[in-house]
Amino acid sequence: MNISEKTVNHYTILSLQGILNASSAPTLRNYIAGLPEAQSLVIDLEKIEFLDSSGLGALVGIARKKKSSSAVMKLARMNDRVKKVFEITQAYTLFDIYDDVSAAAEA
Amino acid sequence: MIFHLDTTTPQPLGVVLLKKRIDSNNSSELQKAFTQWLQQTNNFVFDCAELDFIDSSGLGAIVSCLRKALEQHGDLKLAALGPKVAMIFELTKAKKLFSVFSDRSEAIQSFSTVSPK
Amino acid sequence: MKTLLVIREQESAWLLDQFPGIHPLLVPICNKPFIEFLVDFAILAGSEALRIVSDGGLRDVELYCANGSRWGVEISYGNINPADDTYTVIEKNRRFCLKERIMIISGFLFIRYDKKSDYTSLFASLQSGELLRCPHGSISLTGDAASVISPAGTLPFSLVALDSIGKYYELSMEILRSGLNKYVLPGYSSEADCYIGRNVIIPKSAEIQKPVIIGNNVQLLANTVIHANSVIGSNVIIDRDSVISGSIVMDNTYIGEHLEVENKIAAGNLLIDPESGSSIIMEDPHLLTAMTPSRVAGTLLRRVVHTFAATILILIQLLPWLLLRPIVGMQGKWKRKREPYYTALAGKNVTLTSTYIESNGSLSTLAKTLALDRFSLLFKVLSGELALIGNKPVRVNASIRLLPNRVAGYRPAVFSYAEAEDWPEFCIDTEIVEHYYAVHSNPMKDISMTQKAIFHRTYQNHCT
Repeated sequence: MNISEKTVNHYTILSLQGILNASSAPTLRNYIAGLPEAQSLVIDLEKIEFLDSSGLGALVGIARKKKSSSAVMKLARMNDRVKKVFEITQAYTLFDIYDDVSAAAEA
Repeated sequence: MIFHLDTTTPQPLGVVLLKKRIDSNNSSELQKAFTQWLQQTNNFVFDCAELDFIDSSGLGAIVSCLRKALEQHGDLKLAALGPKVAMIFELTKAKKLFSVFSDRSEAIQSFSTVSPK
Repeated sequence: MKTLLVIREQESAWLLDQFPGIHPLLVPICNKPFIEFLVDFAILAGSEALRIVSDGGLRDVELYCANGSRWGVEISYGNINPADDTYTVIEKNRRFCLKERIMIISGFLFIRYDKKSDYTSLFASLQSGELLRCPHGSISLTGDAASVISPAGTLPFSLVALDSIGKYYELSMEILRSGLNKYVLPGYSSEADCYIGRNVIIPKSAEIQKPVIIGNNVQLLANTVIHANSVIGSNVIIDRDSVISGSIVMDNTYIGEHLEVENKIAAGNLLIDPESGSSIIMEDPHLLTAMTPSRVAGTLLRRVVHTFAATILILIQLLPWLLLRPIVGMQGKWKRKREPYYTALAGKNVTLTSTYIESNGSLSTLAKTLALDRFSLLFKVLSGELALIGNKPVRVNASIRLLPNRVAGYRPAVFSYAEAEDWPEFCIDTEIVEHYYAVHSNPMKDISMTQKAIFHRTYQNHCT
């Protein structure tokens, strides 16, 4: 999995590319651990090719950590594969989901 | 099922309080008890205020009670049908066979106001 | 123009209680799924694209509507949170809403319209802002009009908030009595006020009065009477000498012999009185019975695999259990509790003995690591009451009655999928994993997941 980073407003935007599963979830977790704790995030999921329950678990964990340090984590541009996993697991109730990265980085 | 004789009316009146549900498990019980009650009176009120559910055999038992009462030149009236029980009576057209009253006292009164032919 | 449809789960929860297992947007009104009325209206108003956003699941709606090519409109789906206001909803769908005129239909609303009116030019000329509002929602427009012409008089459409079964019934009757030519309805209509579907068998002795709507695959038996103002769904049998009047018979319903259904809604084995909202379940074959789908045959293979694996586990655990159980029990660290739990079948419970081992000694830690606390539960796999791996059994609790019934694929088991993954920290996380595997599992994968579950037991945080 590749992670590319840019900053818009006070949000760090992480664009993920590739597979987010049990073996790549630690990469994402470690990457985010390297950022300041109170840094708000937008995670761009457009180029995710596969997401499984461990990958979803990583996203849930990050959202929780951000919430506890009163920062924000938003998801943007979910593709159909990702949407399907969110739909099955009803995980959409846990996230703020935007269809546009810049809109997510504004509010 | 609780049965008592009401003697406030010109003729003794059998008042029966039906409870919970009447289904295939206890419908024959009702029919058996009814033949005994028939030896004391031929006019009845079935109070359904505490009745939650009847199935088709329960319904059959009540209809056969009505038939027996009519054979003895009496009547069987129903009182206080709950919404669910009322739906079953309507659905099966059984409601047309009975005089139905909104509560027990109304049903009891109806026996004294209408003079027997 | 585009249309954004905002549906909140809470507004339609009552409908899910009445007709469980069918998404509120797919509940038929006069045999046409509710969502189709909204899609029709969006198209009449000139929309090229429609997005349905909800804070609840849309899977069934997505399966039904797909990408909208059936209607020639592009349909997409989105998620929001219950607390989001209209502004946030628009922000979350900014790419969809960008540079366009958007009609926002918010709330669980039925829109009365007339297919013969010209809504496209009307909506093109309406000023942006809120057009209509009722207690449960509104229709509004954003973006600039091509040329603003204030409409003469009232708007040629109005809102009906769907908030009770009574309203649902009233609306169906209203469409039957006065709206049949205003909407696009399914079925043949060789004469006015009469829509009949395919494969409808009507004997000579049956009587049908207008207005009426009948779905597909309907069988009326001898001497049945369908009085005016009735809607009969698809796959319905009305048995002989029965009378339907002013009633809605939903899909897949059997109406028994000699019955009189008057001003009611019959759905499967449920008979609902729309006026009082009370309903009865017809468990009796002489009255009404539901046509229940047979259990999926694929579960057989799973059962065989689970039984086999459970037998092996029992054989492995037998010796350690015989050795450790008395010792740990004497130490007072073997705690047992008998409680009822939900099974996969709605309305049926199973009593399980859950064991908890306090792991503060070397022997009890060993017992826990070997999963001896699940030993007695393994026998429930042999009797078919539990699966080997699946969901953590949910304790019977009146306040959460909906959960196991609503969640598709709930399968109480000795080990749970959440145990097999090493991340569950909170209960909601556990649910997510279990949902995922409810869809993605197969019997062979189950075996490896069981291994994982046993392996992870050494560093497991229990979720209470």
